[in-house]
Amino acid sequence: MNLTETKSGQEEKNLEKEWEPKIIAFLCNWCSYAGADLAGVSRIQYPPSIRVVRVPCSGRINPFFIIKSLVDGWDGVVVSGCHPGDCHYISGNLVARRRFAILKDLLTFFGIESDRVHFMWASAAAGERFANLIKKITKIIKELGPNKKFQKNW
Amino acid sequence: MNEKILNKSQISKLFETLNKDYNFFAPSKEKGNIIFKKINDSKEIELDYLNSKIPPKEVVFPRIDIIFEYKINGKDIEIVNSKNLEVKNIIFGIRPCDAYSFYLFENFFQFGKFKDELYLKKRRGSLLIGIGCNNPRNTCFCTSVNGHPFKKEHLDILLVDLGEKYLVEPITEKGKDLILNLEWLSDATKNDIKKAKDLSKKAELTISTKMDFKDTFKNLDSNFNSLLWKEISESCLGCGTCAYLCPTCTCFDVIDENDHYNNRGRRIRIWDTCQFCLYTLETSGHNPRDAKIQRCRNRIMHKFCYYPKNYNLIGCVGCGRCIQFCPVNNDLRLIIEKVNKIKKEKEKEEMILSV
Amino acid sequence: MKRTSDIEIENQTIEKSIKEMAKNLFRNKEVDIILGYSAGTIPMASPPIIIRNESDVEKLVWNNFCSINLAKNLLELMPKSFDDKKNNLKIGIVAKGCVGRALIHLAIENQIELKNIKILGIDCNGIINRKKIEKEIGDREIIEVSLSNENILIKGKGFEQTFSYDEYLNELCKKCKVKSPPTSPELNGICSGKCEEVLSIEDDFKDISDYELKSYEERWEHIKNLLNNCIRCYACREACPMCYCHLCFVDQNKPLWFGKTTELSEIILFHLIRAMHLAGRCVACGACTSVCPMGIDLNLITRKLEQIVKERFNFTSGLNIVDLPPMVTQKMSDKEDFMIDEK
Repeated sequence: MNLTETKSGQEEKNLEKEWEPKIIAFLCNWCSYAGADLAGVSRIQYPPSIRVVRVPCSGRINPFFIIKSLVDGWDGVVVSGCHPGDCHYISGNLVARRRFAILKDLLTFFGIESDRVHFMWASAAAGERFANLIKKITKIIKELGPNKKFQKNW
Repeated sequence: MNEKILNKSQISKLFETLNKDYNFFAPSKEKGNIIFKKINDSKEIELDYLNSKIPPKEVVFPRIDIIFEYKINGKDIEIVNSKNLEVKNIIFGIRPCDAYSFYLFENFFQFGKFKDELYLKKRRGSLLIGIGCNNPRNTCFCTSVNGHPFKKEHLDILLVDLGEKYLVEPITEKGKDLILNLEWLSDATKNDIKKAKDLSKKAELTISTKMDFKDTFKNLDSNFNSLLWKEISESCLGCGTCAYLCPTCTCFDVIDENDHYNNRGRRIRIWDTCQFCLYTLETSGHNPRDAKIQRCRNRIMHKFCYYPKNYNLIGCVGCGRCIQFCPVNNDLRLIIEKVNKIKKEKEKEEMILSV
Repeated sequence: MKRTSDIEIENQTIEKSIKEMAKNLFRNKEVDIILGYSAGTIPMASPPIIIRNESDVEKLVWNNFCSINLAKNLLELMPKSFDDKKNNLKIGIVAKGCVGRALIHLAIENQIELKNIKILGIDCNGIINRKKIEKEIGDREIIEVSLSNENILIKGKGFEQTFSYDEYLNELCKKCKVKSPPTSPELNGICSGKCEEVLSIEDDFKDISDYELKSYEERWEHIKNLLNNCIRCYACREACPMCYCHLCFVDQNKPLWFGKTTELSEIILFHLIRAMHLAGRCVACGACTSVCPMGIDLNLITRKLEQIVKERFNFTSGLNIVDLPPMVTQKMSDKEDFMIDEK
């Protein structure tokens, strides 16, 4: 999935001048990854800010992955799975939903901008929806600015 | 007569003078805890204290010590910033028991043919200005381990609190040189010196905890598998507080921290404690000290059996921090009492049998 | 809440009831050992003790410094495998409300067998915040601590100070709603002494809503100030009855989640992940705060965890043996308000 190939030269020049957020995206293999692939095949444009990590199910996501990403310096984290009721493993996404609820509440409580971490459902046929959500998330994180909270003293 | 007087109002002047050439460490209050930290303003110095929570070993043996940093360029690794170890520190307000612990460190860090430069250079560059304990705590027992609340032996300069002023007594050559450079200190009178001697005697009499270590080494050596250890470790949490706050504990771990996004990293040395279950975990997965009893026993054996075996010294300075801060009040005094009693009961048995 | 009786008299009554219950249990051979609290060797400390026969029952005490959660000690006595001889050990445990909750929750998580346990229930009157008092006293030596009416009297070398009991209680004890061990019909016969059946807990969580009036930056500063002198000694983890994993996430090195230093990012990471692991399991006993050598008060995080599971899943841990904790179940009807959508 090589996004830069779809960009025109003009847009690339614009991107170089501004800071582009780096967002890590955990996509479930059966729905969201397929949905992102569909967006690419259909040539739907969306910002090249995400780096995808494919997981078998959104229930595989350990809250560590999300928090460690923030500590390592990623500006944003997106987790996407199948809609409730459509999970390939029946209830994996329901398990994940409870975990994400608690994680988001705790992150907000600690004062870590909870808008850096997003959870969404995206199905395999929803290429355009996937692109729209990524556009929305990139815009939100761009407004928040770079992630500087956890910098280590090297 | 070498003794001088330092008025308590002159402490900030002392700090301003010494801060020019030295890193000045002194007790300071942080979030309700007294710790030794580098002072930037004389107002931070807190001298109304009995002893610090974290021992001053942190100055010469920091909790996080960077050994070296490295950068990765393709297939080459470049080691950068080899630590600059030439430091000039002054540790002001250290108590004689903690100063004795620095002497015990010497045995550990230069035993055999490997000298630990990381520690030794910092120690050589540190000057110890101690203050005698006018009011030892109920939990202090320095006199039971070859110590004294006014012990001069391991300090460079000893201060005695006479109320509004300190009596300043240089002990080593380094201490004498430092005092010579502070010409504005007034001379001490014979009365001052007598008052200091009286305070020293009074402090020694105040120490209420007296522990008898005569038989401890022998009993520990021959009762490794005694059921007594079960009783002693029953309430222990295995939290490591005693080891982290102990001035003589030196165990450390060496780990690498990797920043693979930026192709750099560093190797650091951090405090470790035998109370953690990972401490003796081997790569094979076997752990010789798997159970809490073994780890709890190891600490007592190390301080009161292995240390005397290796260095002919008791590995304890009598500061009492482990007694004061143990979350479950696992009192060292009771432990040593129980250990000492093992032999006596055996003796009694033998006597009865012989009659 | 206005006190109606002298605290010292309350303590003596509770201590008497503990000793009586213990003696009865030993006489009727219903227990082999009893876990309780004993008198400490320094002021403001009450270490746990194991009593093995009726003559030692006099060593049991009750005072407002019994802060350790005995459920953790009980966990260690539980058999590691089912053929272990310890399987037949009948254990009695002196339980205040939070200890009782911890026992029930551990039973739900299959870590203890309640059929071999006898709970000596008491009506806890609160644990004093030892670290807060020590902060006020400074680095002076405390010789004697006593309680009378509504006050804590501290006598030291050359000073005396009085503290209000209600003000210097543990923060969690001030808001405690479960003062004696919860019981339910399924637990008939396990609890002697004071037990109460608790169906649910009413709590307005005002302290949390007050905290959440702060902005993100203020909250981050507050959390940073709270946690930045943590020395990673893991005393909180060792004292917590819910932290019983054989290999804790901080000790894992395959994969190595994060390092062992005391840098701020690592400290925040440790406490954040630990809080996540305790969601729906923490019983608000305050043992973590009372054992911390640096005096860090984790009550804010504990209260937030309780509030999250109460408001999202209507659950409070350790009240009965039937309701499953929220993190092991899931419903189609869970709220999705935190998720992002196209609208």
